[in-house]
Amino acid sequence: MEAKVEARPVVNVQAPVVREEQGAMAAEQHELKMTARDVNLWYGEKQALFDVSLDIFDRQVTALIGPSGCGKSTFIRCLNRMNDVIEGCRIKGDIRLDGENIYAADIDPVQLRARVGMVFQKPNPFPKSIYENVAYGPRIHGLAHSKSELDDIVVKSLMRAGLYEEVKDRLSESGTGLSGGQQQRLCIARAISVNPEVLLMDEPCSALDPIATARIESLMEELKETFCIVIVTHSMQQAARVSQRTAFFHLGKLVEVGDTTTMFTNPSDTRTQDYITGRFG
Amino acid sequence: MIGYILLAILALALISYVIGRYRAVASVGGRQYELHSRPSYHGTFVAAWVGIPAVLLVLVWITLQGPVIDRLLLWSLPLGTTDGMDQGQIGLLLSEIKSVAAGNIFGEPSLVVEDAAERYLRWQTIARSAMVVAVLCVALLGFVLTNARISPTFRARHGTERVLTGLMIACSLIAILTTLGIVLSLLIEALRFFERVSPLEFFFGLNWEPQIPIREGQVTAGGSFGAIPVFAGTLLISFIAMLVAVPIGLYSAIYLTEYAHPRLRATIKPIMELLAGIPTVVYGFFAVLTVAPAVRSFGETVGIPIAPNSAFAAGAVMGIMIIPFISSFSDDAIAAVPQSMRDGSYAMGATKGETITKVLLPAALPGIMGGILLAVSRAIGETMIVVMAAGIIATLTANPFEPVTTVTVQIVTLLIGDQEFDNPKTLAAFALGLVLFVVTLILNVIALHIVRKYREKYE
Repeated sequence: MEAKVEARPVVNVQAPVVREEQGAMAAEQHELKMTARDVNLWYGEKQALFDVSLDIFDRQVTALIGPSGCGKSTFIRCLNRMNDVIEGCRIKGDIRLDGENIYAADIDPVQLRARVGMVFQKPNPFPKSIYENVAYGPRIHGLAHSKSELDDIVVKSLMRAGLYEEVKDRLSESGTGLSGGQQQRLCIARAISVNPEVLLMDEPCSALDPIATARIESLMEELKETFCIVIVTHSMQQAARVSQRTAFFHLGKLVEVGDTTTMFTNPSDTRTQDYITGRFG
Repeated sequence: MIGYILLAILALALISYVIGRYRAVASVGGRQYELHSRPSYHGTFVAAWVGIPAVLLVLVWITLQGPVIDRLLLWSLPLGTTDGMDQGQIGLLLSEIKSVAAGNIFGEPSLVVEDAAERYLRWQTIARSAMVVAVLCVALLGFVLTNARISPTFRARHGTERVLTGLMIACSLIAILTTLGIVLSLLIEALRFFERVSPLEFFFGLNWEPQIPIREGQVTAGGSFGAIPVFAGTLLISFIAMLVAVPIGLYSAIYLTEYAHPRLRATIKPIMELLAGIPTVVYGFFAVLTVAPAVRSFGETVGIPIAPNSAFAAGAVMGIMIIPFISSFSDDAIAAVPQSMRDGSYAMGATKGETITKVLLPAALPGIMGGILLAVSRAIGETMIVVMAAGIIATLTANPFEPVTTVTVQIVTLLIGDQEFDNPKTLAAFALGLVLFVVTLILNVIALHIVRKYREKYE
C-alpha cells in the first residue's frame, strides 16, 4: 500500500473542458456526489493518469469511455481505493466523497469501500451459495441483527438486482453454477446489499451476451434512482443508452466531459469526435 | 558382453537411420516436398524396426538362457545322478557345477561334476554366439523389410508415431506391473500369515507379543498378534505430527501468499521446501539426541514423568518433517484462488483477515485438505524417525508421554536379523505392511479425488 496522497483543499474548481452550462444544469437537478481534482497516478515509473478532474453527480449514471489503456478503469478504481492493493501504485491529487477527502489519513479504505461498491468486468461470485454471496457484505459489516433480518436483506438485494425470481428456489446452490449474466446480477446484488452510496461498474457487460447486457442496462436504469453510478464501458452505444453524463479519456487524460446527448451529437474536442465516429480506438 | 551387443545394436540403428533418411531423399530425387513424411521420419522408422526387436530379443534371450541351460545340464547328467534328490539338493548340484566351471574348486569335485562343468562352459559359448547371430538376423530382417517400404507415398510419420506410442505404453506398464507385483507379494505373504493366525485376533486383539518359540522347548511368551496397540500407536504419533504440522504449515502458507513481500516469499518458500529434502535418518538423530532429552528434562522440571522414547518427541519431529507438504499444498491452493475473488471481497469493504478466512480459505479448502491427507499418509508410512525415536513395546495408551510403537517400527523389528519365512512372527510383518498399504492407498485416493475436484472449480 503505497498510496501517497497530497491532500489539497478544493478551491479553484476548474475542470479543463467541462462545459459550464451543462455542469451547471446537472448540478441543478443532482447533488454533487464525488469530485476528483488533478488526479495523477503512477504504476511504478509509468504514469497512468494525468491531472484528471471530474465531477460525479448523485442519482445519475456517469459513463467513462475511451480506447483501451486510456486510464478509465484505473480512474474508477481510485474512487474506492482499490488501487491501494496494487504494488507500486502512487496517487497524487484530491478525491472527495460528499466533500470528504477519501485519501485522508483518517479514512479507512475498508469503510470507504462499504460506501462505494464495485462490480467488476468478469463476474466474480465467491464459490459459495447464492445466499452466502449476498449475505457476505451484511455479515462482515454487521448490518443484520438476526437471521430473519439477514434473509430480508438478501431477498431485497436479489430483487433489486432483478435476480430473485430466477433463483428463489435455489438460494443454497453455488453462485458459480449460474449463467454469466445471472452471475453478474448476483455480483450487483452483492454490491448493493450493504447499501452503498456510489456504485462503480467496471465494464460490467463486456463478458455478457446481448440479452444479459440488456437486462443489466435496464437494471442500471432502475438503480440510478437510488445510487450514484459510475460505469466504464467500451461500447459507445451503451454509454449513450444508459448514461446522463459522459467523460472521454484518452492516453491517461480526461479529454472532455459533458452531458451525454451533447457529447454524442456535438463534441467540442476533435479527439472525442474521432473516437465516437469510430476513427480510432 | 551384453553391453557390447546393445552398443552394436545402437550402432546398427544409427546406420539404418542414416540409410533410411538418405534413401527417402533419393526416392524423390532430392525434391523433399514430394515425400509424404519428412526424411527423418523415414530414418527413424527404419531405425526403430532395426533396434527395438533386436533389443527385445536380447532381453528375452538372457532371461531364458539360464533356465534352459540348467535344464539341459540336468538331462545330460548320467542316469540316476539326481535320483532321490529334492529341489534344494538339485539346486546345490547346479551351483557346484557352475562354480567349478568358473574355476572356484572346493575340495575334490566328482568326475560327473567336472564333465558337466566342461559342458556348461561349452554350451554357454554356443548360446552367446547363437544370440549374436540371431540378433543380427532380426536387425537385418527389420532393415530389409522396412527399407523396402520407403517410397514418396509411404506414411513413415504415422509408423514412427505408432512405435513411439507403443514405447510410452510399455513404460507406463512397467510402473503399473511393478505396483501390482508389490501388492501381490504382500497379499500372498499376508494370506499365509492369516492361515496361521486368525484375522479376528489380528484386527481386534489388544495384545501384541510377536515373540514366539522358534525351537521346541524355547522359553518365550506364547506369541499373540493383536494389532490394535500397534495401529493405535501409529495413529497417536501421526495425530501428534498433524497437530504440529497443520497449524504451522497452514499459517506459514497464508503468510507467504497474502502478507509476505514477493521477494521474501521467493526466499522463504524454497527454504521451507528444503525441510522435505532432509533425509529422515537425520530427523531421527534430531528426535533422539535433541528433542527427546529436551522433552524429558522439561517434564522433570514440571514434574511429569516422560519416557525417553515418548510418542510426543517422535510425533513432533515427524510433524516438522511434513510441514512442507502442508505449507506447499496450501500455498498453491491459496495462490490459485483468482485475484478477482480477492478484489470482490475487498470491494465489499472486507478487511484482509475477513477476506482470508471467509473467501480464500473456503475456496482453497479442497486443495488444503488434499495436502493434509497426503501428509497424513506420509506420516503413517514414515519409518526411520519412529524406528529411532519411538518405542518397541506395544502399549495401548493415549498418553503422548509414554512410549508407543508403530506399524512401521514393528515391521522393521520383525524382519531384522535371521528369520524363518514360514514363521507367523515374520509373516506378521507382511500383514502389517498390507494394512498399511491399504490405509495409505485409501488416503491417497481420497486426497487426489478432492484435489481434482477442486481444480475444476474455477474453469
